[in-house]
Amino acid sequence: MKINLPLVVKTLTGFIREETRKAGFDRVILGLSGGLDSTVCAYLAVRALGPKKVLALIMPYRDLDSEGVNHARKVARLLKIRFREIDISPQVDAYFAAFPTDNPVLRGNKMARERMSILYDFSAREKALILGTSNKTELLIGYGTIHGDMACGINPMGDLYKTQVRELGRHLKIPKEILVKKPTAGLWPGQTDEGEIGLSYEELDRILYLLVDRRQKPDEVVAAGFERKKVRRIVEMIKRSEFKRKMPPIAKISSRTVGHDFLYPYDWGK
Amino acid sequence: MKIALAQISPVLGNPEQNLKLHLDYIRKAVSRKANLVVFPELSLTGYTLKDLAAELAVNPRKSPAFKKLLEASREIDLVFGFVEEAADDPGLVYNAAAYLSRGRILHIHRKVFLPTSGMFEEGRFFAAGRQFRPFDTGQVRTGLLVCRDFLHYGSSYCHFAGGAGLIITISAAPGRGVDEPRSPGFQTSRMWELMGEAISFFSSAVVVYCNRVGYEDGAVFAGGSFIYSPFGKPIAQLPYLDEKFEVVEVDLKEIGRARKSWPFRRDERPEVIWQSLEKIIRENHED
Repeated sequence: MKINLPLVVKTLTGFIREETRKAGFDRVILGLSGGLDSTVCAYLAVRALGPKKVLALIMPYRDLDSEGVNHARKVARLLKIRFREIDISPQVDAYFAAFPTDNPVLRGNKMARERMSILYDFSAREKALILGTSNKTELLIGYGTIHGDMACGINPMGDLYKTQVRELGRHLKIPKEILVKKPTAGLWPGQTDEGEIGLSYEELDRILYLLVDRRQKPDEVVAAGFERKKVRRIVEMIKRSEFKRKMPPIAKISSRTVGHDFLYPYDWGK
Repeated sequence: MKIALAQISPVLGNPEQNLKLHLDYIRKAVSRKANLVVFPELSLTGYTLKDLAAELAVNPRKSPAFKKLLEASREIDLVFGFVEEAADDPGLVYNAAAYLSRGRILHIHRKVFLPTSGMFEEGRFFAAGRQFRPFDTGQVRTGLLVCRDFLHYGSSYCHFAGGAGLIITISAAPGRGVDEPRSPGFQTSRMWELMGEAISFFSSAVVVYCNRVGYEDGAVFAGGSFIYSPFGKPIAQLPYLDEKFEVVEVDLKEIGRARKSWPFRRDERPEVIWQSLEKIIRENHED
């Protein structure tokens, strides 16, 4: 699972530069949580376009992740990029005052979609393309909010597993405290991804790598030394979340239909 | 012979702009006194065409772009990629390569092996070519291939058996596989180089591979174009991922020298291969 880091950096910075230009933008915007993924993405964006072309939005809900906010500020200052802090508490609280719930997943999804809605608004105001920061691990197991943190203009990091993103972060010399802290989606105080998923990223990524990249069957992954229960759970998570990775199906009734047999490239004419 | 490699990034679905790009590079190649300039696969249209393939298909005898390129070929030989609509069989469109020289179309090769699996879907949008046929350019007997054709070694064998001393592959090959930290390029780049080295040596032929760069719909075209000598030695290796134009001096006399040192060509028995293949095909069909 080790990757050729200079080649990856060259490929991804080229991708950011080219796709931003093709989309008709000359700068990018991203939500900066102070976590590993958005930090690495910001570093790549600065390498691709220079600090003046990168805008970060820091969007805390109350003091749910104040450590993350501090890390995000530090990253923005180190990279010398423009950043804005937008507190999403008023709109989230107003909504849940009308429709109360204690369900942290519902609350977390709503927060992710508030941030998405602000990012898209600022994308239009600032004429900046939104960089997605979802990694391959969370895309595969569906650990993200559809139309929330998964929404973006382009995603430079979606083919890198979480542990590979960490390797890349080390290579790009991001702040050490971000490299070593436990990843969190910031859904509730003390929440960690690994606690919620029930597996360490190291183990999760190694299983996903065998299943996906090496095309092994679940039984073969078990034979390679992984617990059957864990392998089965991961396979189930992949299956259950396919809808998050696709455009919704369109009922085909005509002779030519969007998505079925009306097929044009994304980069059409660019 | 001086061969120019144009490792470019065509604009997807914009033939007018790509024609300009071609003419620019042709001028550059002429000013560098090159005898031949080679462009990548589908260089006039871009690669990820999907439904655009049928819309951008041209008849080489009628296409205004061909007219311009034919004019340009009075000064320098050209190899490029385009979507061909069969003049004699309308509705069929091919992923094709053209060789133009002295104002004439010397040869058009229609891609035979259309990758249609994983990230590739060429078989959905193109008809498959049905032959490999080397031709004379006045300088050297030449065989054309398009991308995946080259990875099926029977394709190069046909050109070898037909006497080609120059095998040209135009390509739009995405780079894939970054988990070999010590290799400078993608794992797939190594695959193309391996084939280039083997085919050039065992065919005692010059092997030219021109791949594109740039990004289309998330695919990353790897570049890494190369030329191998008839002795299997690399005589040009262009960078991975970056746009690059390079003129390479190729000594065609090396073909004869290599064939004297290693008489693979003299000792080849295509009729034995043909008879064996015939039996194999017949037996497989009788199963």
